[in-house]
Amino acid sequence: MTIIIEEHRTILQFKAAVLRADADNYEDTEELNVSIYGGDFVLIRLTRLEQTSIFADASAGLIKTVQGAVSFLGNDWQRLPPDLANAMRGRIGRVFSSGNWIRRLSLMENILLPQLHHTRRPLSDIHGEAAALAERFHLAGIPLDLPGDCRPAELRYAACVRAFLGRPNLVLLEEPTGGSFFEIVPPLINTIRDARNRGSAVIWLTRHSEIWNDRSLPVNRRYRLAGRRLLEVAP
Amino acid sequence: MNKVQTTQLEGHFQSYNPSKTMKFAAAIGYRTIGLWLPFVQFLSDAAAVIWQGCRPTTWRRPVRTAFMRICYQAGTRAVPFVLVSGVFIGFGLVAQSLYWLETFGGKALFGSFLSLVLVREVAPVLVGLIMIGRSGSVIMADLGIMKAGGQVHMLEAQGIDPFLFLVVPRVLALSVCTFCLSIVFVTIALLAGFVSGTLFGLLNFSFFDFFGRALRGFGPEEYVLITLKTVIIGFVVGLISCKTALATAGPSVNVLEILPRGFAKSVLSTLLISVTLTLML
Repeated sequence: MTIIIEEHRTILQFKAAVLRADADNYEDTEELNVSIYGGDFVLIRLTRLEQTSIFADASAGLIKTVQGAVSFLGNDWQRLPPDLANAMRGRIGRVFSSGNWIRRLSLMENILLPQLHHTRRPLSDIHGEAAALAERFHLAGIPLDLPGDCRPAELRYAACVRAFLGRPNLVLLEEPTGGSFFEIVPPLINTIRDARNRGSAVIWLTRHSEIWNDRSLPVNRRYRLAGRRLLEVAP
Repeated sequence: MNKVQTTQLEGHFQSYNPSKTMKFAAAIGYRTIGLWLPFVQFLSDAAAVIWQGCRPTTWRRPVRTAFMRICYQAGTRAVPFVLVSGVFIGFGLVAQSLYWLETFGGKALFGSFLSLVLVREVAPVLVGLIMIGRSGSVIMADLGIMKAGGQVHMLEAQGIDPFLFLVVPRVLALSVCTFCLSIVFVTIALLAGFVSGTLFGLLNFSFFDFFGRALRGFGPEEYVLITLKTVIIGFVVGLISCKTALATAGPSVNVLEILPRGFAKSVLSTLLISVTLTLML
């Protein structure tokens, strides 16, 4: 099967997609019709932490939609064979709300893992890019310690380094501030700006009103989940 | 199957009224399928590991690194423990064999007796048990914690198939390490036996004569058997450990619950494989 990468750079598209909430007491969403293009910076406000993961998982084709389809770079996730779907996921960078790190690998190994798996880039090349990103996020090089030995702030920065490493087409940020670590916002915004200039799309998923109400964030679209509906709000 | 077809089928089954015999047969069939299903799933997973292990695309940089890391943890770091075990078993087994064979006048049978007991039975099972205790339990705890902590999901989200990154290198590394450690174990046990026999005055032949007698007792089937037994035992222990940890659903994985379950399955499988292959060869 060949992958079609559309010319007009629709990075992510929800076509009448209905997402099923994981827990029993949450209702399915109404039909979502959202297209994310290259260069977009979209802020989405959700009400529960589970919803951020569900939305991010649906964007990465990890959960099936109840109906409708989710396409990434013009390819419907459900129609892609597993190997190709995994290769496509290699084009998505993500900051996870939880479970970011494999505890037996050093932070550096954790950061480099997706690039080493999906590409044949020389290690020195990946290492250099990671070091440059680490510097932007105020890290003194790539941390070599195990995740358990690192400070929470280092882990937050390192999660962003990994998400932007390899110039992904789509970056999914699940609560990158972790709720209260707002020092990360300035370097993150700078990195997002560069990613957008390269044609990547960035989706920031948050539950927090501090982020939602921050008008200095250069988002070009805002959505909020109201009940079962995803409403577009003026940026 | 579309919605109309499903509705038609549901209607068909609602109108279907099976006899008691049919219900009885269905119940037996249901239970039989339930009984064999885990075994069939295990075989399909084993086939998948072999298939993926043969594909060059499986062996990407992180998978190769993981394989080497597991080989180091399960193999290299287990060498001192296997050496000590080999010394104890060698002292005991070879000294006992020599003593009783001399008592009953069968010292000429030393080589074949030793190969029969040490190579065919003791080494594969004992090294298998060492692998279960040292490495299988670590794999179960490690993968169980990863599953509960969301790291397995994280790998999937990054497009890294957990089966390739976590299961394949572990299973194949354990398989290779069990074979290598068994060879180390047999060599050390024989050396220890020679030393103990000489020390206690039970041996009246030289070092080379001792090893010559032992090696002459090994037929081609012994070489095939120890290879097959150790490779299969390592493979099965690795697969059971990975499956036990990863088959648990949801974030509420309790490692303390999966460890005894995986341990019991691994020990029983090791003994079953050993007996089955001994009977076959």
